[in-house]
Amino acid sequence: MATLNLLEAVNTALDQMMEKDERIVVYGEDVGFEGGVFRATAGLQKKYGEDRVFDSPIAEGGIVGTAIGMAINGLKPVVEIQFSGFMFPGYNQIVTHLARYRNRSRGKYTLPVVVRMPYGGGVKALEHHSESLDSLFAHIPGLKLVVPSTPYDAKGLLASAIDDPDPVIFMEPKRNYRAFKQEVPDELYKIPLGKAKVVQEGKDITVICWGALVREVEKAVSLVPNVSVEVIDLRTIAPLDQDTIIESVKKTGRVLIVHEAYKSFGPGAEIISLINEKAFLYLEAAPVRLAGFDVTVPLPKGEHHFIIEPKQIAHEIKKIMAFQP
Amino acid sequence: MYDFKFADIGEGIHEGKILKWNYKIGDAVKEGETLVVIETDKVNAEIPSPVSGTLKSLGAKVGDLIHVGQTLVIIDEQNINEFFGPAKTAVQESEEAGVVGELVVSEEIIASSIEQAPVEKVSERKIIASPVARKLASELGVDIRTVKGTGEAGRIMKEDIYRTFEARKQPKVGEVTPEVPLPKVIEVEATPSSVPLKPRVDLSHEVGRREKISMVRKAIVKSMTISKQIIPHTTLLDELDVTDLVNFRTSNKALAQDHQVKLTYMPFVIKAAVLALKDYPLFNASFDDVAEEIIYKDYYNIGIAIDTKDGLIVPNVKNADRLGIFQLAKKVEELQTKAQNKQLVLEDLAKGTFSITNFGAFDALYGAPIIKHPELAILGIGKITKKPIVKDNQIVIADILPISLTVDHRIIDGADAGRFSIRFKEYLKNPLFLLMN
Repeated sequence: MATLNLLEAVNTALDQMMEKDERIVVYGEDVGFEGGVFRATAGLQKKYGEDRVFDSPIAEGGIVGTAIGMAINGLKPVVEIQFSGFMFPGYNQIVTHLARYRNRSRGKYTLPVVVRMPYGGGVKALEHHSESLDSLFAHIPGLKLVVPSTPYDAKGLLASAIDDPDPVIFMEPKRNYRAFKQEVPDELYKIPLGKAKVVQEGKDITVICWGALVREVEKAVSLVPNVSVEVIDLRTIAPLDQDTIIESVKKTGRVLIVHEAYKSFGPGAEIISLINEKAFLYLEAAPVRLAGFDVTVPLPKGEHHFIIEPKQIAHEIKKIMAFQP
Repeated sequence: MYDFKFADIGEGIHEGKILKWNYKIGDAVKEGETLVVIETDKVNAEIPSPVSGTLKSLGAKVGDLIHVGQTLVIIDEQNINEFFGPAKTAVQESEEAGVVGELVVSEEIIASSIEQAPVEKVSERKIIASPVARKLASELGVDIRTVKGTGEAGRIMKEDIYRTFEARKQPKVGEVTPEVPLPKVIEVEATPSSVPLKPRVDLSHEVGRREKISMVRKAIVKSMTISKQIIPHTTLLDELDVTDLVNFRTSNKALAQDHQVKLTYMPFVIKAAVLALKDYPLFNASFDDVAEEIIYKDYYNIGIAIDTKDGLIVPNVKNADRLGIFQLAKKVEELQTKAQNKQLVLEDLAKGTFSITNFGAFDALYGAPIIKHPELAILGIGKITKKPIVKDNQIVIADILPISLTVDHRIIDGADAGRFSIRFKEYLKNPLFLLMN
């Protein structure tokens, strides 16, 4: 079994899926010849040729737009947006066409398109390279939003995303790209979309997180050894795995949601609403969000003020545990 | 130009003396920085600059008196930039900030997370209750986990919490606890207006090994809390020469042994106490604070504090006034054996009228015993030690017994306690008198 980092896991998933299914095409800015700025697609053009793996113009609207056309005509495009912050020219295509085609064609066409993009801060990049735009996708009907946190999850989730008949936004936590490695099975495997993972079971409090912050939450848990923390990695933000969340909160009665996306109107607000709707009577304490400040992600010098750290998470856990009705 | 006048700085101060100027004319000053220190009859006040600017003129010199309303200083706000530059400077971002950023690259291997088929789990859900119900339970000190919900799907309703709260207030029948059912106390407890609710101190996050307390300990917690919350205690310390008693006991120990009696000092103490109680019936009474009446008892049930491995238990010797020294000795021994073997019955614990606690066994001399509510007094007996005392102008060796008498000061005054103590001492000093009685 190979030990891979998250980037290599993405590359392996693309490779093995392309080998299996020749309808899959992979393209985006610098994706072909260079193998992508982060090298997620390295070696694929050489192996599968310029017809299946190629560089696109610097035009995200075109990247998504052509993918829609290809999908309607039977291909399965897996496109890369170089940074999630470059997504906006393509957002029009994503929201007004990609997300709606199944509905617009009254079910005649589905668009099996995967839009990959690195997201999030913590790597001292520039502002529109560091954002977490979870809400902008999760809010739109017709889109699935998947965020892996580990190499193992990245490979299994990307394979499922490519096989999905409908569009999937696949946000990759770029600060985890090369930050650690993990055992990843050589053969192709799939992790179902829409299912959260209970990373660690506990009975006092549920901490819900995803992407790059899963690891920070795990570090935080070791800072509160007296609290039995249940950690849930959502894996898929849209659609939410309501059952796993609700069952856990009914067990623990307390919940903290940690996300890098901006706090206001962010995923945490949605999850807390869900909990209020379905587990209100089980709550021992008010649900809490620990989320990105409502400011543009600071430039490298000030970025550390924005990034959520384990000790902050631990502090929130302690505060919730101390809550008195 | 900003004309900064000496304002009323509160405390009824109308004038002040300039102690120190921190700036001179022409200096630049920033808003909030201390401009001048002014001495008043109450304080030395540091007066901050209201604006940023340069000082044009000072209204008073060091040592001068200045009155409220007089100009303290005139500040030119226009000139500020000459000294401090633009109000805000842009932060220079580092030149090397890259487009791609700096990816953390590490060879660290995290734990494998390869998944097996999921296992079905048993649900361990929390109890169902609204936040309002949880808050109510918290306020009433009811552990919501002990409440049986009668709402839909077992949901705990407010009524359920009230019911649990009410039920908890009833005395439990047939349970052997060292506490006597006390209808009056319970009524007091049920009236939050007359007795403040126990303050809740949340220790749920205190770190350490946790252990449930025993039933006996729970009863002690409750009775001690009641005693200390209701009774204003006062303790009188005294000592007495019991040389005659010690000699008497020593010479009669063998005789007692022949009658299967282990002769301790306790029966003598009980006897002396009972005689003193008869002389001062207030010490054998209870106080009904609702009716505002003293209840005098015509029976003498003397409680003996017994240290068991589960905790303190106070059974009483019934009708101690009708028993001789040997009978008292046997009764005390019997109660001690029963207490150690958990054989006491409710009757042994009920209806005490006065208590005696002996901390001499632990070498202690004095204590501040806590009264067993609704009794009104408790006598603490310390360790008998040999001490030099002055007798007939000679220093002699005597056996000294220290005593600690605690009384309920609502009903019994210090002088009463003193009188009781003197009488008790007279009796205990004279073992033959005790026998004759």
